[in-house]
Amino acid sequence: MSEVIIGIDLGTTQSAVAVVDSGFPILLADEQGNSLTPSAVWYSKDGEVKVGYEALRRAGVEKVHTSVKSLIGRRASESGGQLESDGRIKTAAGLKSPEEVSAEVLRELKKVADHRLETDVTKAVVTVPAYFHDGQRAATKKAGELAGLEVVRILSEPTAAALSYGLDRLDESSRVAVFDLGGGTFDVSVLEMREGVFEVSATSGDTDLGGDDFDHAVARFAAKQLGRDLSELDPMELVQWIAEGRRVKHLLSDADEATFRIPFSGEAVVTREAFLGLMKQFLDRMESCCRRAMLDAEVTGADLAAVVMVGGSSRIPLVKERVAEVFGQEPDLSQHPDEAIARGAAIQAGILAGTVREVLLLDVTPLSLGIETMGGLMNVLISRNTTIPCKAGEMFTNAVDGQKSMKVRVLQGERELAKDNWELGSFEVQFSPDRRGQARVGVEFRIDADGILSVLARDVSTGKDTVIEIGSAAVDVQEAKVEQMVSESVEFAFEDMNARVFEEARLKAEELLPAVGVALEQAGDFLKEEEVAEIQIAKERVEKAIEDREVADLKDSVEQLDEVTESLAAMLVQKATEALFSSPQD
Amino acid sequence: MIDPFTLLGLPQKLELEDTEIDRLVREASQQHHPDAGGDPELFQKIRLAGELLRSPARRIRAAIEYEGLPFDERGEIPTEVMDCFSPVATTLQNIDDFVKERSTAVSGLGKAVLDARVPELKTDLENVIGKLGELESTMISGFTVFDERGWGQSGAEMGGVARGLVFVTKWRAQLREANGKLFEALLGG
Repeated sequence: MSEVIIGIDLGTTQSAVAVVDSGFPILLADEQGNSLTPSAVWYSKDGEVKVGYEALRRAGVEKVHTSVKSLIGRRASESGGQLESDGRIKTAAGLKSPEEVSAEVLRELKKVADHRLETDVTKAVVTVPAYFHDGQRAATKKAGELAGLEVVRILSEPTAAALSYGLDRLDESSRVAVFDLGGGTFDVSVLEMREGVFEVSATSGDTDLGGDDFDHAVARFAAKQLGRDLSELDPMELVQWIAEGRRVKHLLSDADEATFRIPFSGEAVVTREAFLGLMKQFLDRMESCCRRAMLDAEVTGADLAAVVMVGGSSRIPLVKERVAEVFGQEPDLSQHPDEAIARGAAIQAGILAGTVREVLLLDVTPLSLGIETMGGLMNVLISRNTTIPCKAGEMFTNAVDGQKSMKVRVLQGERELAKDNWELGSFEVQFSPDRRGQARVGVEFRIDADGILSVLARDVSTGKDTVIEIGSAAVDVQEAKVEQMVSESVEFAFEDMNARVFEEARLKAEELLPAVGVALEQAGDFLKEEEVAEIQIAKERVEKAIEDREVADLKDSVEQLDEVTESLAAMLVQKATEALFSSPQD
Repeated sequence: MIDPFTLLGLPQKLELEDTEIDRLVREASQQHHPDAGGDPELFQKIRLAGELLRSPARRIRAAIEYEGLPFDERGEIPTEVMDCFSPVATTLQNIDDFVKERSTAVSGLGKAVLDARVPELKTDLENVIGKLGELESTMISGFTVFDERGWGQSGAEMGGVARGLVFVTKWRAQLREANGKLFEALLGG
């Protein structure tokens, strides 16, 4: 018998483990029969650990760590205060890295697998969002190792879902899109399946977009109705409010309205219409990613045989409706939203173990890899959507006589300016002593099948290869410093806070006032007479406030003008969006 | 280094069907992917060869190299390609300006008023993309002649077409990117 490799879906809110048994992927359930384990971890002061439902049971009473996936591979400055300055999480048992906390979930899943398979499992395929960058992938791999598992492959979640979808359609040749909206992350991939080869054409996504955001939005909305502010709540209360937000979100899938209820704080009704308003910005961002993936894959909705939806949040009717609209077809809901990814991970595990032979997966790197050039621009070496494993080389030379070394900053992202991209870290290229332009070092960047980077330098004169370690520890300090510098310079420029407020409001007014005239002209009879009058009055108030240099009044009236023109603005944006997507792009 | 035609087992021809290239790349990938026990270096070479041959601009360069013909990267560019430069640049510039203005706008209505320019920008974009598409098809349809006459006898003309196609390919990619920026400006992301 060949060795067992398990497939693990390490999700933001829940996780699962699966294995291929006589050619078919099956989920493994714990002793209570649950095949999904909440990604929740509880620590006691003396280091006792509970994972899953047992941990969740303590939520709202004691600190339970959830959604740790959104912190893995992140820097303190990216965590919104959830990570301490050293990148660790404060727990009852002391400071723990996100990898260590995630490892507890993985250890629990390994336990389930060990028990079900009656063997000591040592190898696993672990899934991550397709849009995870190098650091997040490497950190996930490390979490696996901490849990006593050799992570033989980091697999993208939508790709895993595609394997699960395609396993019983191996004789078909088609292009499909996979739309994966989970608790904390969103991915969309376009794949081509042909003769058992699953080839990813393009992938896009957002690692900060998922069901958690919707829960927050509902809770924030309800809090506002109740005259409260989420930021004033203590951590335990916040957990309760967000959980209630989630409950209301679930109810709104079927009901036209639902009541948000917090004991001793009050009740607020959330209508489906209000929910749509809260969801709009998230739906727009999803649409943007979907269109980006289709553009990159050079397909339109009509070219796709299916749009497969997975992930817990794909159950939301509003999401399904938007997907149908963007792709011009009803989504395929044949895959279990919470189980498909783990099944796909098991299939990839089977491929690597040699038990699944008829399938091969060709995945891509989701983000362009590059280095910073002299002018602070990003020079792309490997563009996004390149099939992995892949590599690229770059030659470096000394700029002055006797230069010993040169610092190279490695970046991932799609923006032109280096500073707008995610910095993996930097390394020093060492030159042998030589005249300007004579010392030459070739550097090779390799992205392996896990989507993880390694760098190799070859001194051209000596022919010696060295593996380069990429250091990233210093980055955070620098980022904090830059932020501080920026905010300081702004502070100095406006010593008088009042002047600053006035200036900001004046800038906004300068943009709004001419826009009102133009917009009213374009609006035709969209607005009722009294609405036009309301806008005119608000406009005059702004003009008067500028004239009188009334700070408080200007700020107030500009906000009012912004508010009364909201529906007008939405209508015009709608018109432009429709024009942009009216006919298929080539 | 082995030439991409030989590596994939394709005939030394410029006129190749995309589906044929795809099929051979897929079969070779299946055999040589590291997960199937293949050699990573060879796998990488196969992918690169496939990418190269799928692009008409790079395919004709590969043919010139295969034949060992002289090639001047800075040589003359077909006039019909040069004629496209100005509409392409204008379109890209206009979209860039719009995206910049849109991203710095601070009010909902300010953004909305800017958005009124979107339909026109989109029409311009589609026109230029269409024009480049036609131009590319015309140039590619000339591949048959080079194949029949023999690459050795077509060096100078192939050089011109190769340089022209490089521009057309680059512009199409830039325009596609501009299209992406346009909808990202409207939808966010």
